[in-house]
Amino acid sequence: MNFNEPTLDYAGLSPVIALTVGLCVVLLSAVFKPVRRSAPGLTLLVLATAAGLLIWQWGDPKDLVSGALRIDDLSVAISLIAILTAGFCVLLSIREPATEQAGLGEYHALLLGSVLGMVLLAEAQNLVTFFVAIETLSIPLYILCATNLRREGSLESGLKYLIVGSLGSATLLYGMAFLYGGTASTDFAGIATGIAHKGMLDDPLILVGIAMCAVGLAFKTSIAPFHQWTPDVYEGAPTPITSFMAVATKAAAFAVFVRFFDVALGPQVDEWQPALAVLAAVSIVVGNVGALGQDSLKRLLGYSGIAQAGYMLGGIVVASESGVSALVFYLAAYAFMNLAAFAVIIARERETPFGDDIRAMRGLGAERPLLAWPLTISMLALAGLPATAGFIGKLYLIEALVESDYTWLGVFIAIGTMISLGYYLRVVATMWMRPEGGPATTPAIAGASPEADPIDPEAGKRLYLVGPALLAAAATVFFGVIPQPLVEFAERAGSSLF
Amino acid sequence: MNIEWYIVLSSLLFATGAIGILIRRSPMVILLCLELMLNAGNLALVAFSRMVGNQQGQVFAIVVMVVAACEVVIGLGLIVAIFRRKLPLNVDDLRELRG
Repeated sequence: MNFNEPTLDYAGLSPVIALTVGLCVVLLSAVFKPVRRSAPGLTLLVLATAAGLLIWQWGDPKDLVSGALRIDDLSVAISLIAILTAGFCVLLSIREPATEQAGLGEYHALLLGSVLGMVLLAEAQNLVTFFVAIETLSIPLYILCATNLRREGSLESGLKYLIVGSLGSATLLYGMAFLYGGTASTDFAGIATGIAHKGMLDDPLILVGIAMCAVGLAFKTSIAPFHQWTPDVYEGAPTPITSFMAVATKAAAFAVFVRFFDVALGPQVDEWQPALAVLAAVSIVVGNVGALGQDSLKRLLGYSGIAQAGYMLGGIVVASESGVSALVFYLAAYAFMNLAAFAVIIARERETPFGDDIRAMRGLGAERPLLAWPLTISMLALAGLPATAGFIGKLYLIEALVESDYTWLGVFIAIGTMISLGYYLRVVATMWMRPEGGPATTPAIAGASPEADPIDPEAGKRLYLVGPALLAAAATVFFGVIPQPLVEFAERAGSSLF
Repeated sequence: MNIEWYIVLSSLLFATGAIGILIRRSPMVILLCLELMLNAGNLALVAFSRMVGNQQGQVFAIVVMVVAACEVVIGLGLIVAIFRRKLPLNVDDLRELRG
């Protein structure tokens, strides 16, 4: 066996290099006293640099490192969504108790590590880079979930996420091993030729491999019936991390999901299509029904995320250019909708003793209109009401499904949307209805116990919380009324695979 | 080379790990079972590598070992943190978050 020196394209690798160097700088900033407090600023700088370099590479698709990675419009688009989310997460983490306990430098370095994994995952087109990237993404997140050491739930969510996440990774790895055994290649392109050569159903190795890879990815993207960890981990993790996990992890995992299934397993689309379609339908039903009756807003968004993952899986099922475009559009819209909601939840979590309970939202419309509007817009957009980006996203998904004769899945999306109104509108109603008997102040849950985080009565006015909330909500409405820029962005991403 | 026995052994290891995660209650044992599952994958990769006649699978297996080590470090770190908080080291008793 002889090793050939790979040709390195440093321009294409530059976003990854920038993130890696930035990660080290942010981590080291924690040990030098004069710059100890500057970790959030440095992190934003690193993210902005990486985003700039990615935009520079936009429209210039090429293979990197002997085909292990590929930078094209799809990977750039997904990486940009992940970086944007991380930027929001940095702002929302200001004065978060978890950052103090974990250390500012460590917290932000871990966040950058996870972003690095996401960028790599969006670019991966080889089983080895795929596996390494998905672990680079997950391992920092396990720690970040557990960073609020004072809260028992945070540690528990970290351990739970570690166990379930590693179970997913192990299943994925086992599937990859079988796929490699069946096709003699770890490259996506090589797997595609290997499958086309043999014919999928002829070779049990390939069939087992595909099934186990699908299960592993379903764990990572929280698709039912592999979703049980999601609400628990979302509830226990520090809320800024929850927002990052909910949006960025999903975007990156779906990017590799679509590349893996549409490129590597593309030749045998007819065999896996029905299986994924059933998973999508189950996810839509389980997520929407589970969210009904949840009192914790983070759990509610966790279940809603399961349902939304089901909608997005529809974009992969169709295996067409319009499907991928619709998926990218929906991921971008989903990022804005969720970030607006999480910014408001964080603000209320810090200024009321109710945590993320729905009671924290009582009378929000009268008390803090600047927080109530973003949450209202976000809830209506998640439910898919017109004039929001969520509506346009669902429209494109359903259109793509109907185009490829999966109309029944489109009907499932419509039914899911109807069920979802039940819990989204409940949040809106709680906010805008006048509270009975004045604002309740008695802390009913862990609020008064010594392990609760300190309350900041002014949190609802802080610019670093209200600003992101308003920005994300404005983007949701903007792309609902004038979707053209985002549609072009998604269409270019979609055309890079087919 | 007869590949079947290697695959049978690796699937037995994988199943042992998966069952262990489901029925054992100590986080330490669960970590061991996760390792077992990852190593079942490694065995399969190396065996397939011999079967198909290229080295990509062996390289992959070495990379997986590194990743598995990272995962165990994080897992043990979390267990120590939970131990310091004097929380019960039993996944059934960790029910602050309702499953």
